[in-house]
This record gives sequence, C-alpha cells and structure tokens, in this order.
Amino acid sequence: MKKPLVLISLLLVLALALTACSASFDPAKNISVVAREDGSGTKTAFMELIGLRGKADPRHVVTQNGVAGVLAEVKGNPHAVAYESLGYVTKDVKALKVNGVEASVANIKNGTYQIARPLSVVYKESTLSNSLYNAFLTFLKSSNAQNIINDEGYVSVVDNAAAYTINSSLSGTIEISGSTSLQPLMGELASAFKKLQPNVTINVAGGGSGTGYNNAENGVSQFGMISEVFGQARAASCTHYIVAQDGIAVIVNKKNPLDNITMDQLKNIYDVDAGASAILKWDALVK
Amino acid sequence: MNKAYRFIKARDNVMRGIFLFCAVFSVMALGCICVFLFAEGLPFIGKVGPANFFGTTWHLDSAAYGILSMIVASLYVTALSTAIGVTAGLFTAISLYKFCPPKAVPPIRQMINLLAGIPSVIFGLFGLIIIVPFLRDVISPNGMGYGILAASLVLSVMILPTIVSVSLDALNAVPKNYFEGAIALGATKEQSVFKVMLPAAKSGVLAAVVLSIGRAIGETMAVIMVIGNSPVMPTSLFQSVRTMTANIALGATELSGDAATALVATGVVLFFFTLLLNLSISLLRGGGGRERKGA
Repeated sequence: MKKPLVLISLLLVLALALTACSASFDPAKNISVVAREDGSGTKTAFMELIGLRGKADPRHVVTQNGVAGVLAEVKGNPHAVAYESLGYVTKDVKALKVNGVEASVANIKNGTYQIARPLSVVYKESTLSNSLYNAFLTFLKSSNAQNIINDEGYVSVVDNAAAYTINSSLSGTIEISGSTSLQPLMGELASAFKKLQPNVTINVAGGGSGTGYNNAENGVSQFGMISEVFGQARAASCTHYIVAQDGIAVIVNKKNPLDNITMDQLKNIYDVDAGASAILKWDALVK
Repeated sequence: MNKAYRFIKARDNVMRGIFLFCAVFSVMALGCICVFLFAEGLPFIGKVGPANFFGTTWHLDSAAYGILSMIVASLYVTALSTAIGVTAGLFTAISLYKFCPPKAVPPIRQMINLLAGIPSVIFGLFGLIIIVPFLRDVISPNGMGYGILAASLVLSVMILPTIVSVSLDALNAVPKNYFEGAIALGATKEQSVFKVMLPAAKSGVLAAVVLSIGRAIGETMAVIMVIGNSPVMPTSLFQSVRTMTANIALGATELSGDAATALVATGVVLFFFTLLLNLSISLLRGGGGRERKGA
C-alpha cells in the first residue's frame, strides 16, 4: 500500500529536479540582474566605470555577498548577468566582450578593454633617495608582488619581473594612504613586504583617491594610493607607478547566445533611473 | 575532623564564587550587548530622524537609511515560513504521537533532531542550488526564483525540528487517561487526538510556534542566500527583497561610519521584535502552568 506512494513521490521529485536542471535560454524572459553588496570594491568600481557612480541598484536586482555567490547564480541561471573581477571568472560562466573588445589581460594592459582602471601609487621623486622607500617600490615591481596581485584577482602589469632581494639593513616606517579600492591589495602587499623585511612597519590607511594625492603631495604619506588615471594637476610635484590594473568582466550563463555588449546597453541594464530606455528583457540584446 | 570540615567549606565557597561568576558573566554579556545596541543605535535614529529611518528608501550614498521595507519583508518571511513550518511540523508531531508504527518513531525523531544540527549555511546552499532554480524555472511567473517564497520554504524546513519536538513533548505530557476516556466514550482515534489531546496540549504547541517564530525572524545566513537582498518594499512572493538580519550581515564587514551605525540601529529594531517574542513566550508559559494546575 505504501510502497507505490513512496515511489510516486520519488518520481515526482526526480521529474521536478530534471525540469529545473534542463532550463534553457529564452530571450523573452527578464534579465536576472546580479549585483554585489553595498561597500564592495568591485561594485563601486563597476558602477563608476559604466558611469553610474553612487547610484542605487535597480529594484529587481539580486544581491550576492561574495564572488562564490555571484558565480553560482550565473552558472545556474540562464538569464543572469553579473560583474566580477576578471581574476575570479571561471570556465563555468561566459565573459562578454564589451564594445567588441574581449575581456583579457592583454586588452586590459593595452587599454582597449573599457571596464578596467589602473590602481596606482603616487610619490615624490625625492622619496626614492631613501633606501627604504626605494626598496618598497622595487618590491612592488618584483615577481613577489606580481604573484600576490594575480592571486588577489587583479591584473599585474610587470612582465618577467625579477624576485625581490632582501636587504637586512632596512628598518623604519612607511606611511601609505588613499584609495580604498587599492587598500585591500596594498594591505596584502605590505604584509608580504613585512615578512621579508621584519624591521619595517607599514601603515596602510584609506581615505579615497583624493586623500592619496594630497597626502603624497604634502608629504603626509610616502605613497598615496589612487584608483584612477594619474592626474598630474592634482599632485604637481609627484609622479606615479601603476601597481596593478583592476579589470571587471561582465559575465553571463554559458547557454546565453550573447557575445558582445556595449557600454550603453550595460548602463541601461544597471541604471535605476534609465526609465524608458531601461533594458529588462534579453530580446533587447539578443536578436 | 574540623580540618576536613573547613576544607569542604572552603571548597564550597570557591565553587559558589565560580558559579556566581558564571551567572554574572551571562547577565553582563546581555547588558553589554544592550548598552552597545542602544548607545550606538538610538542616537543614530534620533540623528537621521525616525522619518528617514522608518522610511522606504535605503540608499547609502544619499544618506537614506529607511528600513521599513526590510521590517515588512522580515515579517512576511516569518509569517509565511511559520505557517508552512507549523502546519507540516504539527501534523508530523501528531503522526509520531499516535498514528505512526511505534517502532518507526525513535528513528524518525532522531532524524528530525539531526535536522536541527545542520548549520544554516547548508540550508542556504540547498536553497540556492535546488529551491531557487526550481522556483525560477517551474513555479515563478516572472522568472525570478529569489524572494519571500524561497526564503520561507528554506526557513520552514529549518524550524521543523523545534515544532515537532516541542509539540510532541507537549502531547506526551497530556495524561494518557484523557485519550482512553475519549475512546471509552465512543470517539474514534482521530477524534480523540484532534479534539481532546491537541486542545489539552495547546499551551505547549503555542510555545513551539513562538519559538519557531523567533528562529525564523533571527535567521540570517540561509535567508541572505535565497532572498535576493534588494532593499525594496515587497509586492510579490517572487521578488528580490531584504530582511533586517540580511541587511546587518551584508554590510557588517564592508561599511563604515554612518552606514555601519545604521546597521546597529537595524539591530535595535530587531532586538525589540525578539523582546516581544520572549515576553509572549513567558506569558504563554505562565498561562500553561495555571491550566495544568487547574486540570
């Protein structure tokens, strides 16, 4: 009496699971817009780069608090679109071309891929006459630093870098402040440098790119961090070094036939105030 | 003799001190949390104004800290998950009480209790990988799997163990002769259970409901993973919304300044809801005690 019941319910569950798995792409469906949580560096950078700085998310967006959540959603949902640091994008999802340019390390380095920005330190040339500060800049260019940059999901800009050579006579304090976008990476780099040079203390503070320019110009910090293209006018006596590039890929499900997206389309997907030009369904993008 | 007595007395005093410290420690922890919540949260609500804080717009860049939509979402999720969970859990308890083969009861109870030990992040993962895609592709009219329904389904499974074990204990606590009396008067087994035993266990069942409401409103991790987290007023079961707990957890490690204080203030509101629940539990417990004495 009970066995058929159990069997039927099992079959039902199996059938439901199968239908759930075999979902295919349908252009008439709504775009599932995925975003990161407020305060995420990736979100701030992405919104800024597509021209939506400081705007709220559209009402229908799904917020995932982490790389894993974003990737899982895009992997499983044929109608999802999301953004994530290029270094974290896996083979389970598809990265779109933006304005016809593929999201690749090479295209970020040569500046053709648009959703990318340099993360730099600004400093005075005279700073480098100090052997400690000079050693730190050398470290930033070394293979030790490039490995950390790649591991953290950023694009390293120095090819064939040499390993850092330890100078046991170094000691002192380095003050670094500025962009909160570069701050987490700089924190990692600083702690790696401290492991190599145990007598050195490095203070990495935030404050924003503006603070980075000002503190470097006024000598408050030896290195100021900025997350934009270096503007000489903002720190007249300083020069800069690009530590890494922050590239953000636009990702969709592998079943999605779309290959390319324009900056305008992207903006109309993520703009809460897009109004009539808002793109809500995939058929606006997939012909 | 005297020496041994003094030793025992000293040992007693030491132990008394340790126990007192433990008791004071937990009270102090509660006190610290309360002071932290209110000292940080209440001035913030005063500063931005209750109209802003209990408004509908949450947008940090324009200093809008409205959490009304999150309060509403929390209440919806709690109500729906309790409705689903209590229905399923109560019938499970009744079935285990009288209708299930006696040999099957201990293993089933064990398994349900095991459910209580599964970390909530696992429930969230289950929801994210199975329930959300299923709702999205099969049930949802608008192609959105995230939302109140997904969160409620996940939560209703999470509160099952509470409901089943507490209401089963309540049923077991009812004197057996009630059941025998009902049967002797000619009632069927079903009638005796539903019309005699269940009403007699009412206060215990209600306590189970209140306990599970507490679990549902406070659950965070599993909810974050399946509700979508968009801070908008809920208008549909399949819509990305955000609960109060999700709001706190999402921003806790990333935000600073006023935005971080806004999360503490969200915690104050949550604290009031929890307080309300705890008060109703003690009221129910008091009511239950009187009833049993009368019977």
